[in-house]
Parts: sequence; C-alpha cells; structure tokens
Amino acid sequence: MSFWNDPQFGDRIITLMAALVLVLQITMVGQRWLITNIRLFGVQSFLLAAIAITIAYFNRAPHLFAAAALTLVLKAIVVPIGLERLVSKIEIRQEIEPFVNIPLSILISGMLTLLGYVVAESFHRPDEPVGPATLGHNTLAVAISLFLIGFFMMVNRRKALSQVLALLSLENGLFLAAISLTYGLPLIVEVGVFFDVLVAALVLAILIFRIQEQFDSMDVSRLRRLRG
Amino acid sequence: MTLVALLAVPLLAAAFNAFPRGRRAMEVVHFVSAVMMLVLSLVVAGQVLRYGSISWASGFFYVDYLSGLVVLLTGVIYFPAALYAIGYLRHDVLEDAGDEDLSAAQVRKYYALTPLFGFCMFLVPMANNLGVMWVAVEGTTLASILLVTYYGRSTSLEAAWKYAIIGGVGLSLAFFGTVLTYYAAHHGQGQDSMEALNWSFLIQHAAQFDRQASRLAFILVLLGYGTKLGLAPMHTWKPDAYSEAPVPVTALMAAGVLNCAVYALARFHVLIAGCLGTAFGSQLLILFGLLSVGIAVPFILVQRNLRRLLAYSSIDHAGIMVMGLGFGGALGAMGVLLHMTFHSVLKPLLFFCAGNIQQARGSDALGRGAIGLLRTMPLSAPLMLMGVIAVTGTPPFSMFQSEFTILRAGFAAHEFAASILLVLFLVAIFCGFFFHVSQLVLGPAPAAPQNPEPTDFENDRWKTLPVVALSVVAIVLAFWLPSPLYDLISGAARILEVRP
Repeated sequence: MSFWNDPQFGDRIITLMAALVLVLQITMVGQRWLITNIRLFGVQSFLLAAIAITIAYFNRAPHLFAAAALTLVLKAIVVPIGLERLVSKIEIRQEIEPFVNIPLSILISGMLTLLGYVVAESFHRPDEPVGPATLGHNTLAVAISLFLIGFFMMVNRRKALSQVLALLSLENGLFLAAISLTYGLPLIVEVGVFFDVLVAALVLAILIFRIQEQFDSMDVSRLRRLRG
Repeated sequence: MTLVALLAVPLLAAAFNAFPRGRRAMEVVHFVSAVMMLVLSLVVAGQVLRYGSISWASGFFYVDYLSGLVVLLTGVIYFPAALYAIGYLRHDVLEDAGDEDLSAAQVRKYYALTPLFGFCMFLVPMANNLGVMWVAVEGTTLASILLVTYYGRSTSLEAAWKYAIIGGVGLSLAFFGTVLTYYAAHHGQGQDSMEALNWSFLIQHAAQFDRQASRLAFILVLLGYGTKLGLAPMHTWKPDAYSEAPVPVTALMAAGVLNCAVYALARFHVLIAGCLGTAFGSQLLILFGLLSVGIAVPFILVQRNLRRLLAYSSIDHAGIMVMGLGFGGALGAMGVLLHMTFHSVLKPLLFFCAGNIQQARGSDALGRGAIGLLRTMPLSAPLMLMGVIAVTGTPPFSMFQSEFTILRAGFAAHEFAASILLVLFLVAIFCGFFFHVSQLVLGPAPAAPQNPEPTDFENDRWKTLPVVALSVVAIVLAFWLPSPLYDLISGAARILEVRP
C-alpha cells in the first residue's frame, strides 16, 4: 500500500497541519500589528482548507471539497483582502492594544489549549482501530483550543476590527470542529454557513466604518453610554 | 406550495424595495406583502390543522403543529408591525425634514431590510434541517443589526455593536452545539444526505445518540440560542438594542425573534431529552430561566427609560417560557405555548403604545412629576396601561392563565423552590411595572399643555389602528380562545411534551 492511500499517513498530515493552525492562533495573540494579524488569519484559513481537502481525500467525502473550496475563496482570500482594504481606507493606528500584556496573554492561551485537550479527552476512543472513519479525531482538541483562544482574544482586545478578527478565528475553530468530528455537515448547511459568514463580515465592516466615523476611533471600550 | 409562497413574498418585497423607489410605492409594497404574509400564514396554520403536518421539497421544509403555531404567530406579529411602521416612519421623516436624501435612504433601508428579517423569521420554523434553522436564526441577527443603527446616533452604533458581537459569539456556540448533535447522532459516520440533520429524522433515533456528546451539545445550544433569547447572563445586548432600534423593528425582535429562539431551543430540548431523559435539560432550563426572571426584577424597579423597561420585561418573559419548558409535562408544554401566543399579542401592543408616547413627547424617559398622559393621549396612554396590566399576568387577562399553568407545572414537577421564587419575582415585577407606567399615564397632567393640539398625536390611523386592533385581540383572548387556535396549541404541546 503506497503512502497516499495509507490512513495513518493522512492522520499524521492532518495532525501536523492542525498543530500549525494552533501555532498560528497563538502567534495572533502575540502579534501587535493589525495587518500581520489579518495575514496570519488568511494563512490559518488556507491551512484549514488544506485539512478539509485531506479529510475529503482520505474519506472519499466529495462534498467536503466544496466546503474546502468555499473556505479557500472566502476566508483565505476575500475576507483578508477586504479587511486590509478597510484598514487602509480608515487610516487607523495599526497597533493592537490588548488589555492583558502579551507574555501573559500567551501564557493564558497555553492554559486554554490545555483545557481544550481536557475537554476533547472525553471524545477520545483509543480502542477504535485507526481507519478512515477515525481520521482527524485528535484535531478536536485543537478546534476547542482555537475556539477558547478566539474567545479570549475577543475579550482582550479593545479595537473593533481586532475583535472582528478574533470572532473570525473563533469561527475557524468551529469549522475545524465540524470537519474533524463529522467530516462536514450536509452541503446545503455548509453553503448557508459560509453565506452567513460573508454577510456577517460585510455587516461588521459597515458597522466598524460607521463607528470610526462617529467616534474618530475604533476603541470599543469607549462605547459605554448605554447602561442599566 | 403555500410554504414557498410564504417565503417568496418577503423576498420579492425586499428585492423591490432594495432599489430607489418613491416612498409611496415602497409603502404599498410593504403593506401588500404584509397582508399576503398574514393570509398565507393563516393558510399554513389551517393546512397543519387539516393534515397534521406538511412538508415540501422531500422534507426540506417541514411544518408540524409546533412550527405551524410559530409561523402563524410570526404572521400575526408582522402584519400590525408593518401597518405601524408606515405611520411611524412618516412621522420620523416629518420630524427631521432637514436632510431629505438621508431620510429617504433610511426609509429605503427600513423597507428593504424588514422583509428580509421577516423571511428569516418564517424560515426558522419551516426548516426541517437543524443546520438550516441555525442559518435562519443567524439571518435574523444579520438583517436586524443594520436596522438597529437606523438612527445613526452614537448610542445606536453602540447598541448595534454589542448586539453584533454578543449575538455573533452566542450563535457560534449554537452552531458548535448543532455540529455536536450531528456527531452524537451519527457517531462520526458523516454522510452527505440532506436528511442526516433533519429534525424529523433525528427524533426517531434520539435514543441511540452518543450521551457524552449530547450533553455537551445541549449546553452549547442552550447558551447559544439563550443569547438570542436574552437569557441572563447573556442578556446585556437586549435593553440597548430594544431602546435604539425603530419601534416596529423592536416589536418584531421582542415577539417574533423571541418565538423563533424559544422554538429552536424547544426542538433541541425534545431531541436531547429523547437521549438523556428529561432531568438533565430541565434543570439547566429552570436555572437559566429563573436567573433571567430574577435579574429583570431590580432593573425593572429602578428603570428610567420606557423602552428599556419593556426590554427587561422581555427578558423576564423569555425566562418564564424557558422555565415552563424546563418544568415540562403536559402542563408545562401547554403553558409555554399559551404564553408564547399571548406574549406575541401583548408585546407588540406595548411597544407600539411606547412608540406613540415617545414620538408625542419626544423622549422615552420615565421621569417623575407631571407627565400624566391620559389627557394628551386619550388612546395610547390607557391602552398602554391595559397592556401593562395584561403583560404582568393580572387576571382576567390571558397571561394570568398561561403563567398559572406554568406554575402548576412547576408544582407538579416538585420544583417547589423555583416555583415559589418565580411567584415572588413576578409580584415584584408587577409592582415595578405598575409604579412606572401608572405614573406615566395617571400622574398629574402638566399645568400648561406642552402642545396646543394634544389630540394631533392620535390622528394618524396607521399608528392607532394596530394598537386598537391588538388591544381588541388581547381582550378577546382573555375570555375566549378560538377552538382552531386551541387545537393548534394543544397539538404543538403534544410535540413538546417530553415523556420521561
């Protein structure tokens, strides 16, 4: 059996790429510049598409190819380019100012990764033989970590655009969970979800643009007039 | 076919209004589409009563009693909101006549986005596939975010931002929950067939679900759709969004979207209870429901803004419905659905009255002193008072009946502590509400009338007719529940009733 048909080989490739996705997420936490953050997000989405293609290939799940193509086009190309345009258009200070300083943030991300592994442990079944059906199950821990770190990034950042970036990377975690647990939802659902992501990015971009206009700043910690 | 027509009408209306048109043309389209939606939702409800359930496109759309009830209520909410919007927006345009281009663009935004909002609300109960249902719920959020920024004030941007971010995170949790449900059902044996995530398919296999995954899935779905419902502690977006959006949008959000979120949560509750039994889900539902009712109490007692007051009332009612769902049994299921029905009539009524009062006074603050509105607003003010009495569950109004049913369900389920706390909270909410609104309505009138022609405000039929119509419905429902409606509700309750 040649290696490109060997499920164990596929498993390793997926694990490797999932690890890279996680590393990218933590790099985003530790990164100060907005543009770099957007590009890191693009690369992360590209890797996700690659994971989807690998799972689709080894599991013979053709509908996952469509999901991978959508990820590639929307999240790795369209959304990053749109966000970079937005950044250059509204000429903001391009530095992310998190509430918690960077070394501590990275430490917290590490702990959240640990938590992700603890939660994913309950889904792990070591007694199942390695075969096409168990491909990618160990990426669930990575997915949960992505989700938690994305959540932490949202809370930790004060600029509107960097919060949106955190929300998008959190959604990457969801996508990874969806493909590693279920090998993709039915195609119609995938299409709907991607459509939603696109519209959400658009709506949030409009909102950011208007907040910037109104407040001359994207610092959402200034949004605190509504109380009680 | 009616299902497709019901979804096509709002889409066509939105498409028509998306391009620059005269204001009158947009109003006509908006009105006609609302009438058609009301008629079609009545037809759908009638068909459900006749055939039990209807499905279309090999089960892609599936409407049983429960969905039929939600579709009917959405139609019933959308129609008066559409009537009201015409008068409300005309008044707005008159008010700030300065910038005509801006207000024309705003009005177009309203008439284009609201039908899309309605489309998503109809799609939620009709979609059989839980993933498509999630997409539709997310769609209601996306369509309404830009409506919250309608006035473009800094506070409306703030409200919209909170709504977008909290809603976005919440719905991503719900999506994770949906994925886990799918995993629990198929144990990772993914398949591309459309059916694999259909509720009607999953419910037959609920007993074989992976228990561990089901448990996690339910928690995530509860947090996710709970955010959309405004359950504490994920409720913080609600008062902001409700006080900043235009009043007809608020009415749609407070009644229509609330029903959709309760519906989505109820579907998952029934599904997961089929695997884990009722105990697990019920405890969580009662806990979150009680927390929401409880958190609304202090904010209602010290509230200084009329629409925020109503928003906290909406959090309170979401909590009551979720508790009813948690108490379960035949009584709990019946109570939740009755409550949902009555709430769908009363909440828009209150928001429309609040909108009339706000437009007449130019503010929605709840002040002390001489603001007695009884003389200046002889229609909206007393009907507001009536609505408040009804919505706090005072007999003879119908909400007393539904709240009483939920309480009976609580005692039947031996949840004594939760039921007694619920009664206490409800009493406190009644006091707070009655205090604020009676001051607003019955307080001494200002010595010199602020406006020389007070009755001017009550002249616009577009704004008074929905209020009067909904009041009549509320009074009729207090004494008589039409038997087809009763059949629909009790049929839906049989679906909701989780047998241990």
